[in-house]
Amino acid sequence: MDVVIADRLQFAFTIMFHYLFPITTIGLAPFVALYTIQAARGDADAARAAAFWTRIFAINFAVGVVTGIPMEFQFGTNWAAFSAASGSVIGQPLAMEGVYAFFLESVFLGVLLAGKDRVPSWLYSTSAVAVWFGSWLSGFFIVATDAWMQHPVGYTIVGNRIELTSLPAVLLSPFAWWQYLHVVCGAMVAGSFVVAGVGAYYLLSKRETVIAQRFVKVGVIVALIFAVLVVFPTGDKNGDEVTKYQPIKLAAMEGLFNSTKDAPLAIIGMPDTHTDDLIDPIYVPDLLSFLAYGNFRAGVKGLSAYATELWPPVDLTYYAYHVMVGLGTIFMGIATLAALFLWRKRLFDTPLVLWLLMLVMPFPYIASEAGWVTSEVGRQPWIIYGLMRTASGVSPTVASGEAVFTLIGFAGMYFLLGFLFLYLTLREIGHGPV
Amino acid sequence: MSVVAFIVIAFMLTAYVLLDGYDLGVAAVTPLVARTDREREGSMRSIGPFWNGNEVWLIAAGGALFALFPQAYASAFSGFYLPLIVVLWLLMFRGIAIELRSHFPSEIWHQFWDACFFASSVLLILLFGVALGNLLRGVPLGPQGYFSGTFDELLNPYALLVGIFAVVALAMHGAVFLVLRIDGPAVQRVRRLVTRLWPAVVVLYVAVTAATLAERGIGFSWIDVIPVLTLVALGALLFFSINGRERGAFIASSLFLASLLLQAAVTMYPYLIPSLPPRKGGISIFDASPSPVALASALTVVIVGLVVVIIYSVLVARQMAGKIVVED
Ligand code: HDD
Ligand code: HEM
Ligand code: HEM
Repeated sequence: MDVVIADRLQFAFTIMFHYLFPITTIGLAPFVALYTIQAARGDADAARAAAFWTRIFAINFAVGVVTGIPMEFQFGTNWAAFSAASGSVIGQPLAMEGVYAFFLESVFLGVLLAGKDRVPSWLYSTSAVAVWFGSWLSGFFIVATDAWMQHPVGYTIVGNRIELTSLPAVLLSPFAWWQYLHVVCGAMVAGSFVVAGVGAYYLLSKRETVIAQRFVKVGVIVALIFAVLVVFPTGDKNGDEVTKYQPIKLAAMEGLFNSTKDAPLAIIGMPDTHTDDLIDPIYVPDLLSFLAYGNFRAGVKGLSAYATELWPPVDLTYYAYHVMVGLGTIFMGIATLAALFLWRKRLFDTPLVLWLLMLVMPFPYIASEAGWVTSEVGRQPWIIYGLMRTASGVSPTVASGEAVFTLIGFAGMYFLLGFLFLYLTLREIGHGPV
Repeated sequence: MSVVAFIVIAFMLTAYVLLDGYDLGVAAVTPLVARTDREREGSMRSIGPFWNGNEVWLIAAGGALFALFPQAYASAFSGFYLPLIVVLWLLMFRGIAIELRSHFPSEIWHQFWDACFFASSVLLILLFGVALGNLLRGVPLGPQGYFSGTFDELLNPYALLVGIFAVVALAMHGAVFLVLRIDGPAVQRVRRLVTRLWPAVVVLYVAVTAATLAERGIGFSWIDVIPVLTLVALGALLFFSINGRERGAFIASSLFLASLLLQAAVTMYPYLIPSLPPRKGGISIFDASPSPVALASALTVVIVGLVVVIIYSVLVARQMAGKIVVED
């Protein structure tokens, strides 16, 4: 196997696996904090809820940590040329993530897990908030790192190195902020659907009714808020940034081969790179021009305006993007439906909607992963957009056999880990908030 | 500024060795001192709230190395590709063992994870020691600054000796920590173990020192006061643990390790990755750092962050200190 392919596969596999866990951490942390604070005020049900979600949070966190460790070192092991060239920029948000966020999370999670009888209750509640803050902060630093690779700012080129000129420019880049807010909103959709879905499961199996109703209620309200926020403004603004800085990616996401004025938006359709067209498309006229430029008549450049060697893999980018957007629409629908039933006070005895809430649980994870595939695959062939090709970023001394070997090792270990994680989490849910 | 950056990295790695060192050490001594399932659980719980925070020192040091010395980060990590990935796997395995052990009330399950916990921790210490040994000795570097030797060269007798020294020294460090955290009959066994490990540590210390002098050639300078500090710390450790001054013993053990790492840092300076044969160059802190603007910015954020981290870690550790309750 080509060493570039082996390195890319290993990175994609390990990051996509890792990312499953931060989604839950980021999305569940506010709920853990909420119940911990309510419990400190003497609410007995909230105390049980807090203990329950903290246990699930802890299992998830442990797997997140374990799978995060290889990520931190992989830039050096597999992407040495990239790291040597851009470490002056990339290293900073990564170092800040370690120093500012990981310590916060892990020190205070230690308190949350083992300190209930040791520390004063104000410190216990503060710890829950600190863990929440830490997890959102670590999301920010890592997304800022990625955003810089998507749209480099605040640097100059000295010889064959990219040198940082302004850290604030990197951390305050609008590209990074819209991407970050979108990521957090996506994680909140996942977290709130998990809370609502577990509640729905207890209601359907007629146990823990009081607590379960609280889960469903809070979950549905939060899910509705964030299902909207993930699309508008954050998803929309994300798209604007892509339109501005990565027009080829936009064309691939939309499957737009030929440049047109009043470009239509393809809802369905299969891109075919032999004929350079969409097969069996359904279009909404003019909408793409409007979404991209706020004007139904604006010209949008298609893929054919660019040299093919600058195209990202069109199919993957296109499908991943449509999976994410399609699911995002469905989440809004489900959250709105459940909220209506909640409002009319009929949600708790409408099994059909409870079933929907339960079954939707895995899909926000799929949407988030699809989003990253859109964003990362769409960036190809660049590792740093416009500055460095992915193929020139790999480690010169690592042979493809080594990378394949370690990829297989990671796959084996993650299989075991994934299995144990699912088993333990489902068992915890089976036990319920005792 | 590169010198400050070198001190920051050395400081973070020292913090890592002192902190994660005790929980790795606890794993190494557990089979020797814990006889029952409960006792083994106790020793795992003694590090429960701390080990993850301790390990972050390594992760953060990795991040800081990336920001402060990108060339060294790139060449060391890709040059030592397989050993490093093995270290990652061991770290992962160890984390899994600690997290999963308590989830089932089955003795078989416990025994399996106890064994994994022990094996991964001891191997990690050994590998870290071997890595340090190679850095002290120097590694073969190609023209681009990437590792150009073979693996059996990394497993040379000198590096292995340092590795074994690391295992024994951290085992003692772990034992000294364990005394602070547990209760019951196991404590007596741990105390006795400390006094038994002590002579072994002294012998190995002398051996490693002699071997280092032989590898690198003898040269005297003001830094030769460091061994005095090392020996004083070792003496204090024995004195405190015989007299039951447990906190004092832990502090002495930490000082002992810190002095060794200080010695190592001074020996390597100004090289991050000295090349073999010794004193023939290598990747120095001046070759590996980024532009002054970038370095200043990275140093500022890292140092400010570390000060904050140290403040709240100490506050939390004081709240969480004291013996854990192991009921039978
Ligand atoms: C800090 C930077 C960073 C961050 C936060 C992410 N990635 Fe990434 N990603 C890279 C840095 C990167 C990279 C090192 O730049 C890769 C390796 C090969 C490449 O082309 O870019 C990459 C490739 C890459 C690929 C393979 C694309 C291809 O080569 O065709 C996928 C599928 C993902 N990533 C997915 C993700 C997901 C699901 C993430 C969410 C957690 C994510 N990435 C965050
Ligand atoms: C290449 C990219 C990434 C690297 C190098 C990385 C690195 C790490 C490391 C080393 C840890 C363990 C920290 C500890 O010991 O406490 C971790 C955990 C975590 N990471 Fe990542 N990570 C990456 C991607 C992401 C992304 C994209 C996000 C979110 C948007 C994220 C969010 C988190 C969070 C919230 C945690 C806390 C533990 C958890 O629940 O997973 N990470 N990461
Ligand atoms: C209709 C709704 C949505 C729209 C219009 C939208 C828009 C976008 C766009 C344009 C990107 C690509 C950004 C880039 O290439 O840099 C993206 C990425 C992403 N999306 Fe969405 N999104 C939607 C729904 C969702 C949902 C529901 C989730 C998760 C629950 C989600 C999670 C993600 C993630 C994790 C990324 C990768 C990070 C990023 O680059 O922003 N998205 N989204």
